[in-house]
Amino acid sequence: MKRRFIAILILSTLCVLSLCAQDAKEIVKKANDLLRGTHTYSEISMTIVKPEWTRTISMKSWSLEPDYALVYISEPARDKGSVTLKRKNEVWNWVPSIQRIIKIPPSMMLQSWMGSDFTNDDLVRQSSIVDDYTHSILGEETYEGMKCWKIQLIPKPEAGVVWGKIYLWISKGSYLELKTEYYDEDGNLQKSFFGSDVKTFDGRSIPAHWEMIPSNKPGQKTVLDYHEMKFSINLDAAFFSEQNMKRVR
Amino acid sequence: MSSRSEHHGQRHSGNLYVLLAWRNIWRNKRRSLLLITSVVISVFVAVVFSSAQFGQDEYMVHVTVGFYEGHIQVHGNHYWDNRSFDQSMEMPEREIDEVAATAHVACVTPRLETISLISHATTTKIASVVGIDPEREDNMTGLKKRMVAGKYIETGSTGAVVSEGLAQLLHVGVGDSIVVYGQGFEGVTAAAIVPIQGLVKYPLPDLNNSMVYLSLGFAQQLYSAPSRLTALAVLLDDNKALDETAAAIKKVVDGDKEVMTWKEMMPELVQGIDANDAGTVLMLLILYVVIGFGIFGTVMMMTVERTREFGILVLIGMKRWRLIVITVIESILVSAVGLVVGVLISIPPVYYFYFNPIHLGGDYAKAMLAYGFEPIVPLSIAPIVFTIQGFSVFGLGVLSALYPLFVIRSLRPVSAMHG
Repeated sequence: MKRRFIAILILSTLCVLSLCAQDAKEIVKKANDLLRGTHTYSEISMTIVKPEWTRTISMKSWSLEPDYALVYISEPARDKGSVTLKRKNEVWNWVPSIQRIIKIPPSMMLQSWMGSDFTNDDLVRQSSIVDDYTHSILGEETYEGMKCWKIQLIPKPEAGVVWGKIYLWISKGSYLELKTEYYDEDGNLQKSFFGSDVKTFDGRSIPAHWEMIPSNKPGQKTVLDYHEMKFSINLDAAFFSEQNMKRVR
Repeated sequence: MSSRSEHHGQRHSGNLYVLLAWRNIWRNKRRSLLLITSVVISVFVAVVFSSAQFGQDEYMVHVTVGFYEGHIQVHGNHYWDNRSFDQSMEMPEREIDEVAATAHVACVTPRLETISLISHATTTKIASVVGIDPEREDNMTGLKKRMVAGKYIETGSTGAVVSEGLAQLLHVGVGDSIVVYGQGFEGVTAAAIVPIQGLVKYPLPDLNNSMVYLSLGFAQQLYSAPSRLTALAVLLDDNKALDETAAAIKKVVDGDKEVMTWKEMMPELVQGIDANDAGTVLMLLILYVVIGFGIFGTVMMMTVERTREFGILVLIGMKRWRLIVITVIESILVSAVGLVVGVLISIPPVYYFYFNPIHLGGDYAKAMLAYGFEPIVPLSIAPIVFTIQGFSVFGLGVLSALYPLFVIRSLRPVSAMHG
């Protein structure tokens, strides 16, 4: 009788634990789905801030999740017409000034993209914050006046992820990813990602202003401002071709 | 009066000790020559051995710094840690000339260096792209001598000299064009189609597969960095003047620049030399043990031979301490002669192999070539080689003289006489 009671206790505890985990994953999935449509078009300006200089790049981006993306640079004038194409785990660049397509070799994937705090790898990364991590709710915190879940993401052993852990702050009810902290395997904060200025695009309310701040480079950050977003445009894989890199406007 | 004569007598006896010791040495020439020879050979072996070792260290530094980096480099502040154009510098010709005019500076060469993608058809590789002043670069690193095809670049050329291995990887040759694609100053995209006008060959595969040289002006234009440099490499005429020259250059350049010596830039080379030196110290210790026992054996034999003589001297009234003083002086004289002769006869071979380094063969030579070194062992003629080894062996000789001392102190004259 006693033994049976303990068994039930253990079972129910396991249930509750798994329910919690399910819950955290569900929250992350909802937040992720909100930001990332499957057939997305967006217009973005990216500002690279360094202690010595600042530079703003305007771009248009098409993406067909999870395998395809194409980014067209419209400003500054010197780089106008440059295109970055992502196909599966490969990246190509079209350089209009010399009329050449250049494939980015794997060894360059961790280098900065367009001088920003994003790497080429950030563009093609296959890992998903939903499927490649184990999620748990650490608690509730108020961030920028909004009640948030603080969720911890630990990469699954088989996932090829460079981070040791990630903390996510997701607003309750609206499922906005307001703050993300990336830690290395030694538990040191590497970079933080902040979302703010919630706007409605194509019927979805999401942050339109993002700041990526690397923690070991004072005075440096990359700012993204979304001006336009559409979440279900007509796109297929054929759009993401080398020919189209030269044609797209 | 009496005290003065005593004093006089003592000074006289001081000279007498040396005189007696000197006569003792020549009394049995064969015995003394034997001891001198053992010291001479020891000094000779120790000097040649450590000269080869010092020579190898000096050669390693000479080759590495002369190969590319130079003894000293001037950068924009924090450039070496970041290797980014953000830490590049402006350096007017006047400032370069001032650095070049600093004492001990043999030559200088300005560079604008970065990593870029090099592409041809469907192949893309990563390479170091270096904008150089063609004349100064050749002066310092002998780049022209490494040319295996085509033409060397001139000031203002818009072509590239590419390392042979990289050209092979891209399947290109002289006359073909490559795409250079990277990031310029302040994040601007840098892209150009550049004709290959020449090929250089490096023995080190890593380097041979990854170098592209452009003229400095063309590189500055390509990377939107007009009149900027990432480094001014400085070669010295004497590595021993490293720190004082670095300090002197620091005074010449303006404040937002860093001046680094090869020891700061390449700590791995310093570690390599330290490891090498630790091995040498061990080998020398073993050598000293062998030498020490050699000399000691000789001294012991001679002491046994002279036990009867010592016994008689003590019996006829010679104070033991006087005998000890004479014996010690004998040892010092013999060791000193050995030291001088040993150093003198080691000078010709050391100088010969300094000017005509030993060429190595076999696997070791291949390994050295792979590291980009010519497989030779030049000897060092640094004075320290002679002084340290010479005096170490001299010290061993004098130390061996403690043995007769010990024998004389505990000598029982009668049994010694009947020996």
